[in-house]
Amino acid sequence: MSNAEKNLYLLDAYALIYRAYYAFIRTPRVNSKGLNTSAMFGFTNALTDVINNRKPTHIAVAFDVSGPTFRNDSFPEYKANREETPDDIKISIPYVKKIIQAFNIPILEKEGYEADDIIGTIAKKAAAEGFNVFMVTPDKDFGQLVTDKVKMLKPSRQGNGSEVWGPEEVCERFKIKRPDQVIDMLGMWGDAVDNIPGILGVGEKTAQKLLAEYDNLENLLEHAEELKGKMKEKVIANADQARLSKKLATIACDAPVEFNEKSLELEDIDEEKIRTIFAELEFRTLSERILGEKMRASSGNAQMDLFSGGGDDGPTPAEDGAERMERFDPETTEYKLIDTKDKRATFLKELAKQKKVCFDTETTSVDANAAQLVGMAFSWKAGEGYYIPIPGNEKAAQFILNEFKPFFENEEVLKIGHNLKYDITVLHWAGMPVAGPHFDTMLAHYLIQPDMRHGMDELAETYLGYRPISIESLIGKKGKGQKSMRDIAVEEVAPYACEDADITFRLFELFEDQINKESWLKGLFYDIEMPLMPVLAVGESRG
Amino acid sequence: MSLEAEIYEAAGKEFNIGSPKQLGVVLFEDLKIDEKPKKTKSGQYSTNEETLQKYADHPIVGKLLDYRQISKLKSTYVDSLPDLVNKRDDRIHTTYMQAVAATGRLSSQNPNLQNIPIRTERGRAVRKAFIPTDGDHIILAADYSQIELRIMAELSGDKGMLDAFEAGEDIHAATAARVFGVKPEDVSREMRSKAKVVNFGIIYGISAFGLSQRIGVPRHEAAELIENYFEQYPDVKAYMDKSIDGAREKGYVDTVMQRRRYLPDINSKNGTVRGFAERNAINAPIQGSAADMIKMAMIQIGKAMDDAGLKSKMILQVHDELVFDAVKEELEPLKEMVEKLMRNAMPSLNVPIKVDMDTGENWLEAH
Repeated sequence: MSNAEKNLYLLDAYALIYRAYYAFIRTPRVNSKGLNTSAMFGFTNALTDVINNRKPTHIAVAFDVSGPTFRNDSFPEYKANREETPDDIKISIPYVKKIIQAFNIPILEKEGYEADDIIGTIAKKAAAEGFNVFMVTPDKDFGQLVTDKVKMLKPSRQGNGSEVWGPEEVCERFKIKRPDQVIDMLGMWGDAVDNIPGILGVGEKTAQKLLAEYDNLENLLEHAEELKGKMKEKVIANADQARLSKKLATIACDAPVEFNEKSLELEDIDEEKIRTIFAELEFRTLSERILGEKMRASSGNAQMDLFSGGGDDGPTPAEDGAERMERFDPETTEYKLIDTKDKRATFLKELAKQKKVCFDTETTSVDANAAQLVGMAFSWKAGEGYYIPIPGNEKAAQFILNEFKPFFENEEVLKIGHNLKYDITVLHWAGMPVAGPHFDTMLAHYLIQPDMRHGMDELAETYLGYRPISIESLIGKKGKGQKSMRDIAVEEVAPYACEDADITFRLFELFEDQINKESWLKGLFYDIEMPLMPVLAVGESRG
Repeated sequence: MSLEAEIYEAAGKEFNIGSPKQLGVVLFEDLKIDEKPKKTKSGQYSTNEETLQKYADHPIVGKLLDYRQISKLKSTYVDSLPDLVNKRDDRIHTTYMQAVAATGRLSSQNPNLQNIPIRTERGRAVRKAFIPTDGDHIILAADYSQIELRIMAELSGDKGMLDAFEAGEDIHAATAARVFGVKPEDVSREMRSKAKVVNFGIIYGISAFGLSQRIGVPRHEAAELIENYFEQYPDVKAYMDKSIDGAREKGYVDTVMQRRRYLPDINSKNGTVRGFAERNAINAPIQGSAADMIKMAMIQIGKAMDDAGLKSKMILQVHDELVFDAVKEELEPLKEMVEKLMRNAMPSLNVPIKVDMDTGENWLEAH
């Protein structure tokens, strides 16, 4: 380590948390328990971005401690105008700390001091020991600390990559000669956010002009007599206030915190802790990215940020879903393979009793007009599914299919499917008309959330917090090597097919409710989209 | 001589016409058709259609544009249509996608019918490939006339526009007379074609800049046209404002049948993003209502044809048009049925709906 470059990254926790929270303010991320996870999510992203892309050797996160700081001693009103911290942020803090601990990264805080002071102090000490220090913060005030060895890393923001600010960038940003003049700038122009008054009536531009001429605040105040007119009055009248402001804006580099090089070394993450906290927050994608593994299905994740389009009374089925439905848990499902005549007989008796049945065809092609039927899956209760293989032999296939005729032609039974037009067309070619009424979960969702995606896999993830078995895991990736569903063992197809039927049935329960609640959805669904579907199916199969 | 050979001759050498990079070198370094050629982000010469159109007078560029058009059509239709023919019945089965376009419109794939060009001769020829089953059949095409403008008249309730449709006027000519302040009989072809662009542009929330580009007039002139338009059709302007305000308040806009489109970006602080949502706020109800209407017509026609036991088939839906493979003997009753059901698909509208129909030995002739 001694010869290699040592790079220390110091993260400004609150600044990053605030930013993350407000970045998602219009479409907050909410988990299935209603917890706003925007701040945790944004912070974790910023943290992993640093770890993955900046390759730190050392790292730490600094927090403010609530309560007065040494700055309040000289100016009680310091930060007095701060708006109350949003509740969602307050609730987020313990979670963010847990995440940091799970990453095995030390948290630095000190009563009576702000994170700025801790970062300033550690940065200075580390730089003296040969470290390259990066202060990770969006807060421009840190510019005052920047040297060749201590730089700012402004995290990326909506498409713009992150920026590193060295002395040159800071001088350019503030139009000053030296980074430490940032403090003089702030002393003159004040800082409304922190309730630092500055010189009344002096803004950024004027401060730059004055600094260009007088170099620093003290020198300006000394030569105040040289100024003209109103400016002279302002500066003289506000001299004390300006001195105080500069003091308040100065980041302390002598806070009583120790720089313990060893303790800040980047360590491996604690996978178990990460798993636990991410499961609670329902960070599925992050979990996959960081742990390289899928989250267990039971830890549902309704990403309600997808429902940003909701408007005031826009439907948010995920909320209902989260409350009312049990999350999808493959451990508790019961899927049955119906592969003998006897089993079929029992099954058909059960099927005949049902009024609302979801079915799904398994075939050899995505083109319904060319596809051969390989099997059919049914579900009429969440967690249950039945798979009936259909043999390739035409006669044998026809024999089995005919046993289902009473079901398919029964106008008393609601036939549910996802993209039903496909299944109806496949069955049309197999000589089996499918009588209405129909309920297509894809079309239902198309009306509920027209701008979202309506694939079954996406809906399962969004509404049931579950990622279904992918078709590619069965038949392989698209392309030459892809197998036909016909070539896959029925024992493998059955759980996949049953799962699809089960998921579709659960989506049906959600969407039917949603549609029946809103008269506008009801009209469009039952009077337009559903009746249109068979008309299109007929047109397509005619060509 | 083939088009390719002509291009090589004009270039003075053979090269890969399909390679934008090689083409750029030929045009701008060898032939130097422009002293200051436009470059793309990656530093290559820009040879996209928009750029080439500027040099359309140049003989090689005219040929290139032809070449591109032909190869596009060839790859999308001529080469691929035969692959799409179903082995079971030797027919092409398009697949309608009922849940893709957020506006509510249908789309189709394999082949995508909405993409078949209408403006060009060659594109129209693709329609010739769609023919009736046999000699006893004929293609019937039924097309909603000016449906989006009619819906805009309906939604806005603008009296001037409603009156024009009521009187069966040529809406573009009527608009031209109004915005250019001339008598209907003095409307020139040029005025009418400009008015047409304005009419359609308004539906899509066109800006003065966009309009000036489209009709080739200075921006202030385009702005004046739009201003005149809103003066002449004040309720259209009011409708647009109301639609945007409504979207801001509710977060969505909806169609005649209450189909919704959520527009979260309508309150964006970013002007570009917001502008996009605002144009959608104007356009989505219009397009969506047109979609509602043709969908309702299809359902009713499908049912009526079944009930009447007709053997003719409804085979295609594209844009605002329905196409039938009609049994010749059934043609007259079918036409009557289709016209009536399309016209009245959506009940209780103030604006008259007009359906144009035609028949032919192929889809092009019927169109």
